[in-house]
Parts: sequence; C-alpha cells; structure tokens
Amino acid sequence: MTKMFGAPIPRREDRRFLTGGAAFLDDLGHDALAVALVRSPHAHARVVDIDVSGALDVDGLIAIYTYDDLTGALAEPLPLLIPHPALTHGRTAHALARDEVNHVGEPVAMVVAKDRYLAEDAAERIAVTYEPLPAVVGIEAARHADHLVHDDVPGNVAANYTQAYGDVDAAIASAPHRLSLDLAVERSASTPLETRGVLAEWDTESARLRVWSSTQTATGLRAAIAAKLGLDLTNVEVITPDIGGGFGVKIVHPWPEELLVPMAARALGRPVKFTEDRAEHFVAAAHERAQLHHVEVGFDDEGRILGLDVRFWHDHGAYTPYGLIVPIVTSTQLLGPYKPGAYRVEFDSLYTNTVIVTPYRGAGRPQGAFVMERTVDAIARDLGLDRAAVREANFIQPDEMPFDFGLTFQDGRPLRYDSGDYPATLEKLKKLVGWDSFEAVREAARAEGRRVGIGLACYVEGTGVGPYEGGHVLIETSGKVKVATGLTTQGQGHQTVFAQIVADELGVPISDVEVVTGDTRRFPYAVGTFASRAAVMSGSAIALAARNVREKALRVAADALEADTEDLEIVEGVVRVKGNPGAEIALGTVAVLSNPLRYAFDEASQAATQFVVGDPGKPPVADDDEPGLEGRDYYSPPHATFANGMHAVIVETDPDTAEIRILKYAVVHDCGKLINPRIVEGQIHGGVAQGVGGALYERMAYDEDGQLQNASFMDFLMPYVTEVPRGIDIDHLETPSPLNPLGVKGAGEAGVIPSAAVFASAIEDAEGIPITSMPISPSELFELRETATSARTDSRRHSEDQR
Amino acid sequence: MKISGDAVLHAPIERVWQALRDPAVLVQTIPGCERMDATGPGAYRMTVTAAVGSTKGTYSGTVRVHDGKPPSSFAISASAAGAPGTIGTDVQVRLSEVDGSTLLGYDADATVGGMIGGIGQRMLAGVARRTADEFFAAVDDALTGEPAAVGFAEAPAGRSLTPGGLVAAACAVAGFVVGAVWGRRRG
Repeated sequence: MTKMFGAPIPRREDRRFLTGGAAFLDDLGHDALAVALVRSPHAHARVVDIDVSGALDVDGLIAIYTYDDLTGALAEPLPLLIPHPALTHGRTAHALARDEVNHVGEPVAMVVAKDRYLAEDAAERIAVTYEPLPAVVGIEAARHADHLVHDDVPGNVAANYTQAYGDVDAAIASAPHRLSLDLAVERSASTPLETRGVLAEWDTESARLRVWSSTQTATGLRAAIAAKLGLDLTNVEVITPDIGGGFGVKIVHPWPEELLVPMAARALGRPVKFTEDRAEHFVAAAHERAQLHHVEVGFDDEGRILGLDVRFWHDHGAYTPYGLIVPIVTSTQLLGPYKPGAYRVEFDSLYTNTVIVTPYRGAGRPQGAFVMERTVDAIARDLGLDRAAVREANFIQPDEMPFDFGLTFQDGRPLRYDSGDYPATLEKLKKLVGWDSFEAVREAARAEGRRVGIGLACYVEGTGVGPYEGGHVLIETSGKVKVATGLTTQGQGHQTVFAQIVADELGVPISDVEVVTGDTRRFPYAVGTFASRAAVMSGSAIALAARNVREKALRVAADALEADTEDLEIVEGVVRVKGNPGAEIALGTVAVLSNPLRYAFDEASQAATQFVVGDPGKPPVADDDEPGLEGRDYYSPPHATFANGMHAVIVETDPDTAEIRILKYAVVHDCGKLINPRIVEGQIHGGVAQGVGGALYERMAYDEDGQLQNASFMDFLMPYVTEVPRGIDIDHLETPSPLNPLGVKGAGEAGVIPSAAVFASAIEDAEGIPITSMPISPSELFELRETATSARTDSRRHSEDQR
Repeated sequence: MKISGDAVLHAPIERVWQALRDPAVLVQTIPGCERMDATGPGAYRMTVTAAVGSTKGTYSGTVRVHDGKPPSSFAISASAAGAPGTIGTDVQVRLSEVDGSTLLGYDADATVGGMIGGIGQRMLAGVARRTADEFFAAVDDALTGEPAAVGFAEAPAGRSLTPGGLVAAACAVAGFVVGAVWGRRRG
C-alpha cells in the first residue's frame, strides 16, 4: 500500500466544491423565515427611541425584536470569551443595543419576515431616534481620550500589560549602538467569500434546538447558545455546513445573530435564517491589525540585539469579546527566531468607536513580524551590514531547542519553542531567491532605468494551541471507516488530510474513509479551528483514536484467525496473518464479530458466522470491553508547537508612478512533518495572496466620524490573481515537533505573517526611503518620495546657508 | 406587556358613555369582532379574527366587564386563544369631560403567549396603539356625524351583538383592547 501520510494527493472535497455540490449556509433552509437587522448608522450614540409603527403594514412581516424582548441571560452583555487578569476594563455588547451604540453597524433591532426582501423593507421603515455622541476613531484619538467610548472606562484603556525578561533599560543604555523607531500597521479584515450566517430550527415536541452556523467552532457556539437561551446542552445541536472561508472572523461566538435567530425560531416555532450581506460584513463582523509601535533597541557591532524595548498601542474597536489574544500574540511572537539579550513589551489595548477587533489570519503576528523585521533592517542599515547577516547573528540556534523565553504565550502556557532550524531556513531562502547575487540584478536594472529592491522577513508561529481536540473512528460492517472530530472546516482540506492519517494508521484504502467535522451530534467535545491548530490537534487525536481501533481490530481478528496479534498486518482493509496467504479476515467482518448481535441480515454478518470469537465461559461482551469496532481519543499538548518560515520578495517600483510590482516571491517554510505537501503549498499560496493584500491594498478607511468609507468590494481593494505573484518559489524544511504523535506543526496562517515586513524591506531597499507604515499604496510611496526629496533639498539649502 | 393610551372624543361624557353602549355605533367601530354572546351578568364569549403582520388567526375567548362607575370608569378582563397563541388582558378605562369633549384614557396589561407572544413587544404594542387609535377615530366619527372609516361600515351579515347598554360597551372596549393586541381590522 502506498503511504498516504506525506503524499501530495488532490483534495478529496474539491470535486464537490467545483461542481456545485457544496452546501453552504444560505443553501439550507429554503422555507425558513428570513431576518434583516436594523443597524446603527452612528459610530457613537444613545438610542432614544425605536418606533416600529411604520413597518407594521409591510406584507409578510412576522416579528420585530429589540433589546426589550431579550430575557434572562440573553439580556446580559454578550460573553467575554477569553478573560485575562490584565483586561481590567473588558466590555461586550448586548445582542441588540440597549441604550447606546458604539460603532456603525451595531444591531439595534431584528426583523423576521417571510423573505429577506420583505424583512429589509420592514427594517427600512423602523425609525430609530439617536442622540449622537462624539466618536473616538483611531489610536491617536483613543490615546488622547478627549472623548470616551465607554463612560466607565478611563482613558479608553481596556488593558495595560507588560511582559519582560532581563534588564532591558540597562542593556540598551550600555549598548554600543541605539536606535528608536515608530511603526504603524493599518486595519484590515478577514472578508471570507462566504459571509456569516445562521439557521435555527426549534422542535416544539422534543424541545430541541438545531442550529446550523457558518462558524469556526460548533461546540463553542453550542455551549454559548445553551447558556444564553437557558437550554440544556443536550437539547442543542450545532452543525457546520460547508463553510466558504473563515480566516479568524468566524471564531468569534456567539455573534448576536447566532443567539437572536435561535431565539426567534423558538419563539415562533418556525425555522429562521440570517445570511449576512457583504455590506453588513464590513461593519458588523470584525477587523484586525491596527497598531502603533515605538521601539527602542540597543545592539553591538555585529548587530546582535542586546536590549529591545517595545511599547505599542492596539486598537481593539468598540468591545473586547475576544480578550487580549491579538495584542498578546503580537507581543510574544514579535520575537520571531531571535533572542534579544533583554526584552520588554508593554501594550495598551484601546477602545475606539469602530468594529471589534478579533484574530484575522496571522492574529497579531503580521504586526509583530513587521516591527521586529523593520528593527533588524534598521540595525543593518545603521551598521552598514547585510540584512541577512544581522538576522543570522540574532538567531536562536538549533542546539538551543527547546528555547524558553520565560514569557507567557496567548494560551497561558510558556513561550517555549519546541524545535526549528533557523540558520538552515535562511540558507535555503538565500539560495531560493538569489540573495547573494542580487546586487548584479540591481545594477542590470539600474542600467535600464529600472528600480528594484529585495527584502526578506522571518517569523515564528505558535500553532496548535490546546487545550485539546478529540477524534472518533468507527469501522462499519461494510468496512467503511467513519471519522469524526469536533472542530470545524472552512476550506482547509480536512476531509483529505484526516483521511490520509486514518488510511495509514488502519491500513485501509483512503476511499473507504469518510471524515465529518464540526457536527456536535457526531463529536460533542472540541475547541475550534483557529491558530493553525486543526492538523496538529485533531490530526493527532484522530491518529490516536485510529490506533485504538487498530488494536481492537487486531485483538478480535487474532481470536478469529487463531493467531497472535504480533503476526497480523492490515493491508487494504484486510487483516492478514503475515506469511500465511489465505488466513485473513476483512475489517468489516471484524466489525461484525466485535458486536455480538445474533442476526445475520447481510453478507458481512453471514461471513462472520464462520468465525468463532470470545471466551465461551465469559459473557459475549466482556466486562472491560464494549461492542463495536470504534475508538475515541483526545490529544492535549503541554503547549503550542512553533512553526517558522522566511519569505523574500523582489519588487520593482516605477520611477514615475510609484507602482509596486512583484518580480519574485520565495518562501521557505517549516511546519514539521507534511501530511499533504500540496495542501500546505495551497495554504502558503493563499496566505501570500492575502499577505500581498495586507501589505499593498487592504485597509479600513474610517473617517473621523467613524463611518467606514470603503465598505464594499468596489472600494475595499484586494489583490486579484493579477496582483498575486505568478510563481511562488517554495522550499520546505521538515523539523518534526516533539510534542505530538505525528510530528506536525500548523501551516494555516504562515503565508500571511511576514508579508508587510518583507514588502516594506524590499520597497525600502528599492527606494532608499524608510518605510515605517503598512500597507503602502503607490500614492503613499509617491508622497514619501516627494517628502524625502524636499527634505534633501532643504538640508542642502541649509548646509549652503551655513557656508 | 403594558400598553397605555388616550383619545379625545368630541362629545360630552354622557354621549360617549351612551355611544359605547350603542350597538349601532359598535357595529361600525369594533375592529375584527366576529361574534359576541352574553354568557352571564357582565360576562361574554367572543370571536375575533385578527392579523399581526403576516400572522393571521381566529381567536375565541371570554370577556368580563366589571367595576363600572358610570360615566367615569370601568374595567375589562379578557382571555382568548387561537392557533397563533394566547392572550390575557386587564384593562382600566377612564372617562373625563374637558371643555365639552371627553378624554378617554386606558391602561392595559396583557400577557401574550405562543407564537404571537414571540413577535416582539414593540411590534405588538405598535399594532395595539394603532388599532386603538383607529377604533377611537371611528367612534369619534360616529359621535360627530362624520362618515365612518372605510371598512368599518361594512359589518358582516350575521354578526351577533347582544343588545344592552353594558354589553355594548363591553364589546366595544373589549373589542378594541383585544383587537388592538391581536391585530388590525380584517383585510
């Protein structure tokens, strides 16, 4: 049998996706009542009155809900999902605004009607009277705190948090060289192709609620719904249909609509569905990225960082449902593959009257990588050293693994790198991109009047955070293998990679393996799909569960074949006695034997009658056994496993228009053992594409009143295939993780993490102008050139005057 | 759910009290009252067909009028059930004369259950207030000799209204309260 683990097989789900066979949320619930939300048009306002009288004549209107209709726990603020001791002033919204709205798009009322058109018609006729309040927009405004987002949060500061090791002040003060930098990253958003959506059905007879949601956590949402609606957990089921992308935004739960729609379904006794439209997604989901950083760094003549002091300000929007995850990730993952002699990072997490900020693919790492890599480039420039050489001088070495910084990561566990070979990664990257021969390329381009630059950037990514995931593997009497895990799938290819794992562990053809994810009926214990954790967590759990099944299959088969388990092997779904052709039994038959039913109702059960298993002196199901051929197991790691990678890009900047073109993009990536290299490369391609967007195009253009000026795909720029590098050169290192049975690390977010950093490095190299803020547009680059030119002219004049 | 409101009727208080007892007025003005029969002193059985938004249904139940203090106040208690849900209400009605007109005020406390109870307070209250306004406008039109609002004049044939002063008033007020909570006029 061909080994499946490591084979670049095509994704098994793609045929269905590409031939219209997928079922996304809005494909379900054709007869369901439809929902439309009345959302705040103001960034900050008191809700004075809600007058629904104008909507009452809309034909097809079923119900209108406002805050006053929320009862019990549903009337309380939404959960603060991840509390933290430093989050002293955490605030969350109500499912429907109670008396104040804090961002444009905050839901104020929900309409239920026979279809979405009628629901929108009714929503439009609901008159809400607002008393507008001053809006706090942007980090500077939040810091100045002339106005407050929440009256009871002084200075707009939700949290102030510092982590440190070593004496950073002394290290910087005594360093031979010192620099300070101010750096900024703009807002962006996940913007998955499929927006949010939820469908709920209430079964009055059994008092059970069934919910389908486009979520990254079925089990988390289930628990939230049960708690908020006052239902027993066992009476709530959450199922994820096919999901058209998440990228982080769908890990937030419960969204207001994920509570309001089930509430309405229960109240009305009819199925109710909400499908978010694109305009809503821009203002009613979540954003990320916006941070301002101030860096003080001290270093020696080789560029070795002796002390690094980072102070940053994180804009988390109007509320803090997801706690401090993003800024904590920034503050810890900023370090990348480097080991500064001393480090201190302090951040303020600030309220603004804008959409909430929760993890978006990369989850705070792109900002951290940008800050660290800009700092290393600045050191190289200051010392006149090669940028790669300065990086090398600062790397944690392979023989220093595991490397513990003495800091706490976002999962509350130690920031402890488990494995990685950073010098080897850099060596591969330099070769792949032609780092050492680039000066010749630059000269050749210059001779043609062209401007080119090269940049590189490194990152380390904590992946596969706990606490746990589980797997269930069941062999049916047909020999088919049914695999279930609780976390969800939003395009990662889990039906392929998890089946690859099981095919190898059990010795069955992959075509016999079927994988179900994100269905609480099949697996009720799970955490969710985020933080590049699915392959690590569920992959490991499924492997362990499959091993349990294999053990039982061999035990039953050994009994039937009167052989020793040591002498058995499983090939193509058949248990065989090694070296004894003919002495074999199909796994399906083993499944029959494992369940002492006395009825022969199909061929498999008839075939099983030729074997005798079990001790006739004991009960048919022994005390320590159970019927059936199935196994369940869980994987729970001591802490995250740290993947790493390095990107390099060669850009050309137009001397006249400042247009930025990508000439070459190279990635060296180490996510431990590769289960499916094709899927990992797909993740890298997608990540690079999204990273190009984050570096060159995507931003959230809020005006000073908190109105999002580019809330549509007409105005929110994203890279088309024409803007994504045509070929991405990829090389892999496979440094296994010692933490899990498969030796794997996460790969989902890697491609996007160093993008802003690597483009800033390359553009700076091409232009000779410091790049301190991302994303950067051609207009902004043009402005930078103008400023730099006039500054040069001024200083020339200044020196001439002095003469 | 509590619903309060008032209306100005352009007639002296005694005429308003009379009108609320006059079957001819009530036939023209009660929204959605299909049928009303006396079952005892101050107690009646009634049927209302009503719609709240798209939720249409027929409700049957009982009405009791009590604590009457002519011409200034009375109270109504009603309860009914239909396919879309259930309702129970207690209503206090006050009449007072101001410059030759009558000010009518009401405070209703309603418990609405079933699907109809799940449509949202503002929508229920919005429908109720508007229905009450329509009812009082129609009563006022009848009092001042204006033509009744379209639709109210065409009482269905066979509607059964037991004559009698208090009965008529009960039907009128119960009709508007129950009808108000349940829905707008038919059609």
